[in-house]
Amino acid sequence: MKFGRRAFLQFAAGAVGGTLLSPLPWKLADDSAIWSQNWSWRPSPMRGLVSKAPSTCLFCDGGCGIQAHLVSQKNAIYIEGNPDSPVNQGGVCPLAASGCQFLYAPYRVAQPMKQTKARGDVTGFQPISWEEAISELSLGLSKMRTRGNPQGLACISGRPRSSMFDLLRQFFSAYGSPNLFQMPSHADSLELASTLTIGQTATPAFALERAGYVLSFGADMLAGWGAPSRMQSLFGHWRQEQPGVAPAKIVQIEPRLSMTATKADEWIAVKPGTQAALALGIVHVLIKNKLYDADFMSSQVVGFEDWTDNSGKTRQGFKNLVMKNCAPRKIAELTGVEAAKIEELAKEFAAQENAVAIWGGDSGETPNNIYSDLSFLALNLLKGNMQTGGMVSLVPPVPLEPLPEVQVDEWAQKGLQQPRLDLTQSKQAPLPGNGLYAFLDTLNRGGAPYSIEMLMIYEANPVYSLPENSLVKEAIKKVDRIVTFTSYLDETAVQADLILPNHMALERHDDVIGLPGVPYAYYAVSNPVLPPRLDTKHTGDVVLTVAEKIGGAVKGSLPWKNFETYLQGRVKGLAAAGTGAVADKPGLKPWALQPGQSPKTNYKNAKDLWSKLTSGLCWYGPPIGALQEIKTTSGKYELAFVSLQDRGVNVEDDAVYLPHYAPLSPSGDEKAFPLLMVSYRSLSLSSGYMANPPFMTKTLWNFLLKGKDLFVEVHPETAKSLGMQEGDRATLKTPQGEVKVRIRVFPGAHPDTVFVVHGLGHTAYDEYIKDKGINANEVIEVQMDPITGMGTVWATRAQLARA
Amino acid sequence: MKEEKKSASGQTILGGLFFFAGLIVALIVGWVVFPKVLYSEKTQPINFSHAAHQDSACEDCHYYLPDGSYSGAPGIENCRQCHEEPMTDSEQERILVEDYIQKNREIPWLVYGWQPDNVYFSHAPHQAAELECVQCHRDVTADEEKLPIYYENRWTGYSKSTMKMVACEQCHAERGATNACQMCHK
Repeated sequence: MKFGRRAFLQFAAGAVGGTLLSPLPWKLADDSAIWSQNWSWRPSPMRGLVSKAPSTCLFCDGGCGIQAHLVSQKNAIYIEGNPDSPVNQGGVCPLAASGCQFLYAPYRVAQPMKQTKARGDVTGFQPISWEEAISELSLGLSKMRTRGNPQGLACISGRPRSSMFDLLRQFFSAYGSPNLFQMPSHADSLELASTLTIGQTATPAFALERAGYVLSFGADMLAGWGAPSRMQSLFGHWRQEQPGVAPAKIVQIEPRLSMTATKADEWIAVKPGTQAALALGIVHVLIKNKLYDADFMSSQVVGFEDWTDNSGKTRQGFKNLVMKNCAPRKIAELTGVEAAKIEELAKEFAAQENAVAIWGGDSGETPNNIYSDLSFLALNLLKGNMQTGGMVSLVPPVPLEPLPEVQVDEWAQKGLQQPRLDLTQSKQAPLPGNGLYAFLDTLNRGGAPYSIEMLMIYEANPVYSLPENSLVKEAIKKVDRIVTFTSYLDETAVQADLILPNHMALERHDDVIGLPGVPYAYYAVSNPVLPPRLDTKHTGDVVLTVAEKIGGAVKGSLPWKNFETYLQGRVKGLAAAGTGAVADKPGLKPWALQPGQSPKTNYKNAKDLWSKLTSGLCWYGPPIGALQEIKTTSGKYELAFVSLQDRGVNVEDDAVYLPHYAPLSPSGDEKAFPLLMVSYRSLSLSSGYMANPPFMTKTLWNFLLKGKDLFVEVHPETAKSLGMQEGDRATLKTPQGEVKVRIRVFPGAHPDTVFVVHGLGHTAYDEYIKDKGINANEVIEVQMDPITGMGTVWATRAQLARA
Repeated sequence: MKEEKKSASGQTILGGLFFFAGLIVALIVGWVVFPKVLYSEKTQPINFSHAAHQDSACEDCHYYLPDGSYSGAPGIENCRQCHEEPMTDSEQERILVEDYIQKNREIPWLVYGWQPDNVYFSHAPHQAAELECVQCHRDVTADEEKLPIYYENRWTGYSKSTMKMVACEQCHAERGATNACQMCHK
């Protein structure tokens, strides 16, 4: 018997047969499929019981109630909306839904860091202890004060509608510096417009929940305008058929077919930057056809008719100015909207009972030209929207416990007597507000009366997100020391000398005071859904510790043990005011409250209110009418800005005192830069302090971002005249700089205009965020408003050339 | 000729033997050796005895959470309700109290029927359909001295007793429940 070749083959055949009759091949085939589902790099959520931790979202100023899903109360895996919140009613925006990516992001700052090499060199950051970090900061601050330069401290703060900002203001007043600035927002110019017209700092609010007709002058309602989640649910509400209720009509007026424009009933493709002119054209038609309340306009409003200034001189009133300058035919030329269309819009607007005009592009991220804000307000005034129960009211203040009076010592007094450094051409603008751009301009021009030794930056990333960011890049070179309070190693933190990492938004107590454009009073507290993951500290606690170390009046002005106690103290004041109620069930409609009609209070005392607020419920109160709160010297709505004269504006031109169309010209030669570049924002792209998380980047179309290439939108005819086609590579050049882009031919883009999205082109963070697309802020030009000193953004001259 | 014939039939028989040997070897490998190689045997961190807990109701430890999801294997907070201190002199109870409850550590139970992440399974509708626990799980009321060995597939990491999709589908088909993909793969 020989085991030869034949025998081997016979044995093998038997083995094959036996194997096929055994589970081995079938099991392995099945397991190979299962194995492919279990690759180690495939993310898998932690196992354990899932619970929900409620809080308030701090990612933007929209104040949404949220619930974080936690596994075993340790790992946050998901964020959803809180159905009890009247703002978002259970919904959230893509940014909040991606919130856990920020919590576990590799680019979070894990402990205090000190730059040991040249600024901007990330390899130079050395971890230091909190004791070292705080003592370095407080020693530096104490020295500046005793050297007589407390005014040399400046701050750029994010999150202005918060008790944290109030705490910073208290610290700055006690320390002795006037140089506390906020990141710019539309609220900045709106506040000044209110100052001029009703004599007090406030921002307008719109009763959109009961709107029947919305004339939106570039208010990108589905891209972050106002409180984003409120607008999302409102759009759903408007688009829902309800028996017996006529559906709301939305007219979107903007040069680009935005998401809002696509969902509107009508899109008016106006020339870039001419929305205010169109509003005045509509005003003209209203006046010409007497479609306004003449009694009200003559008895309650100053300056509608011709008026007399302080020197006794008769000035032209708004009515005559508009009748002279804003005839539809003229406006048609400016705006590209036919005169007949303007007439039609005006008549429609006048005929509708609940018609309202809203405005403000750029998702409320930048101040507007003050005359534009005033023109839109005038349109609403003429429509009667500001009268009691009208569509336009004011964002009501929240009666929180005021901070104790600041103890001003000798050093602080001297510091506060110094001029704030938001000087335009060596003096402040006539109507100064949050003059961040004027401040940066002063630093860059040089010749300020004193130098800025230390710049603090709190929860903001101006080096990336400030339009024309070269201004801040340049300005920080003039400052000796940059200290940032941030959770992330962003572009601004990279430029810091000292990083004092703040707890991330889901790990800390904080609050939201009022909501942009929302007519009811609103207050919500965010509380940690998880203990801090890293060696971070609440910036509020850092400020309080530093104040304690500086001692004296600074310590006395900030007497709280920690930030949580401070916040509880503020809520105590709210409880003592005894107004408003806690929204403790879904379906509440605070917007249905009438001015002065407070809901029935449903909390027992301050402790109860605090416990309700920290369990994810928000407080709400009644709206306040715009004309209820008039504090002008005349006691009337000042359509003519009488108070400008008291602010040193004495000019011949009557228009300066009235709402009018006053575009600020972009720089650059029109021949060299034949196009206009206009930037826009999207709800799928976070463009501010929060970087765009990978979850959201995945939702971008490949005609917006493909690989690392960003597409800019141009009209087919413009593309044709430039000899360009879809996908072509091009250089986009503006007076500010140039960037490489690709072309998207888009019929929804206004001709001769290039549209660039905000939110891409990061240079910091991690590989999933940085180097994707370009940062629009690198090429945007900011135009300084001569009245307010604020940096406004509407368009930049540009050219596109084949790359 | 005759010899040649004999030799040919001998070869056939011999060939059959080789074939048969190959078949047997492969069958042994496939049915006996392969499962032993494929699965590693693991024991539970504590030899929990269901029999020793007969004074408790099943729902004391295996219950529905307020959101409708199922608690599964109990956490130490459940155990703590009775075992804050040892109640007997059992070694296993000592491990429970000293290594887990006192140290606030969850017991890393090996769950025999754990479904993978891509399967969405909810106990609630299955209970509502009046399925008995023992239709899918072992009968824990039987007097078992030791918890069953947990067989982990070395390649895939799955438990050997994880119910496969075909079993889900079969039961769904028999009971008229949908077998649409999104029912379980959400």
